[in-house]
Amino acid sequence: MTTYAIEKTDKKVGIGQIVVGEADSLLTTVLGSCVGVVIYDAKRQIASMAHVMLANSQGRADSPGRFADTAVPAMLEMLRAVGGVSTKYRAKLAGGASMFAGRGPMNIGENNVEAVRRALAGQEIPIDGEHLGGEKGRRVEFACDTGEYRISVAGKDVASI
Amino acid sequence: MSDTPTSRSEQLALLQELFASATRDASEAMNRWTNGMVTLTLDEVRELPLEEVCGELNLSNELMTMIVLTLDGEMGGDMILSFDEKNGRALAASLLGREVCTDPEWNELEQSALNETGNILGCAYMNALTRLVEVELVPSPPHFIQDYGASVLQQALMAQAMYCDKALVCQTHFHRAGEEMDWSVFFVPNEKMRQTMEETLQGVS
Repeated sequence: MTTYAIEKTDKKVGIGQIVVGEADSLLTTVLGSCVGVVIYDAKRQIASMAHVMLANSQGRADSPGRFADTAVPAMLEMLRAVGGVSTKYRAKLAGGASMFAGRGPMNIGENNVEAVRRALAGQEIPIDGEHLGGEKGRRVEFACDTGEYRISVAGKDVASI
Repeated sequence: MSDTPTSRSEQLALLQELFASATRDASEAMNRWTNGMVTLTLDEVRELPLEEVCGELNLSNELMTMIVLTLDGEMGGDMILSFDEKNGRALAASLLGREVCTDPEWNELEQSALNETGNILGCAYMNALTRLVEVELVPSPPHFIQDYGASVLQQALMAQAMYCDKALVCQTHFHRAGEEMDWSVFFVPNEKMRQTMEETLQGVS
């Protein structure tokens, strides 16, 4: 019997960006105190990942992915455009670290996480899994077909949510 | 950020001059610190879209060894000195007069040697900036980090994320015995620092 490995297409999500992926996509990014928010429709195998930098847009509408309060509505709009059904949406979160060992703007990570949670709750999207906090960066990848969110810290795989 | 392209490019050219001078000071300090082993040259001062900074600077999935100095206060910023593992350890060993350590973990002495290197570079840059903006700038003690380059840089970029769509990044390269090393210094000013630098430079021009 021959087995076939299906090559997934890596889609990198830059700082403050929102990217949508379909079944053959692997959404990837690197996070520090930013939060990698994924909203996905498991049945249709589509997902959107936002790389959220800050909690509040303070009225700015031109870079929705950068802020928690504007990222979630923009993600929903993008998912709808590719056939997502809002009643099926679930979310997974990673990131929100306190980088520089708590020096500098240390509560940015926590603020981001809280703002993302509020935005998801406002849209009644349940959170299926989280890997948050700590003092280290994360490399994350979300497989749109399986809904698996894999997290590496310091070059080692540490979690799959 | 609403300047005409011409005045913006003139400002960037002036910033380039400023950082070139700061880099010369830093290079002299580094040259003394490493007994002539290491020198620096300014690569360039660039404005990059926030979304593309990590990709443009080749800071993505790789783990890096970094020294971070933070300028706290209204007029602030972050300076990140990044080393590749092999040459960072060679520098630490050379400064300590020891064999290159082969343990996976950096020991306290090695970290201390690199922290001091960061301190020397940071102070040289801060002195140049102090001369420009005429405000005394005192960086935090250096902080040793091993992590993904992108995760550290994005922390520094947050100070710009609310107000700007482009990040101002000053990138410097290192040379040892004339050979370019895979080390860099990134300086990311916050909004107030950036504004003050630009206003001062407008006065100069």
